[in-house]
Amino acid sequence: MSGSVRLQQDDFSLEAEIAALRTSSKRIGGIVSFLGCARDFSENREVSELSFEAYPSMALDELSALREQAIARFGLIDARLIHRLGTVHAGDNIVLIVVGAEHRAPAFDACRWLIDELKARAPIWKKEITPQGESWVTPHP
Amino acid sequence: MINVLFFGPVAERTGTRQTSLDFRAGICWQDVRDILRARYPDAFEIVSIVAVNGQRVTETTHTPLADGAEVVFMSAFSGG
Repeated sequence: MSGSVRLQQDDFSLEAEIAALRTSSKRIGGIVSFLGCARDFSENREVSELSFEAYPSMALDELSALREQAIARFGLIDARLIHRLGTVHAGDNIVLIVVGAEHRAPAFDACRWLIDELKARAPIWKKEITPQGESWVTPHP
Repeated sequence: MINVLFFGPVAERTGTRQTSLDFRAGICWQDVRDILRARYPDAFEIVSIVAVNGQRVTETTHTPLADGAEVVFMSAFSGG
């Protein structure tokens, strides 16, 4: 594990990311996380796996920009964003956002803002693998 | 040379992840789109986002591309 913003094939550890965040400052009074997981059901279909693909250089730039913007906009002390690529099985982790702030309100607000912006701005695509076949996911608003 | 990349749903429809076009002075991303849209009409039906050298561009962006530019035609994102 290294870096506050990462795209990786391997799973990540929520505990390890929170521990890394906490080393950045003892001014942190609240930590909020969002953990996105792979469902085994979508649009009335069983889903066995998801496959994620990215435009890697732009996706990393976007995640880095999002982190910087969130720190400035919400006065965060630190933030970490990790998104997995490749095959993810039902029940596995997909994306993790962890933010630390002096108080809880900006931490909650920033975490929600970050996942919404990530979905809108990061060039990452998701394919669902079902018993009936494979299909790329059309994003929800 | 103009380098063009495709990812995810768009790549599935083009059947390729990259292609290239000869560079000519003054060429804009819209010129690249018009050429490739004729070659891959199904793929361009779902293209809604375009990036040049990793930066999103819009229909009003008419900056000529540099030789060696990277142009990416993308469908709506669905990460997270």
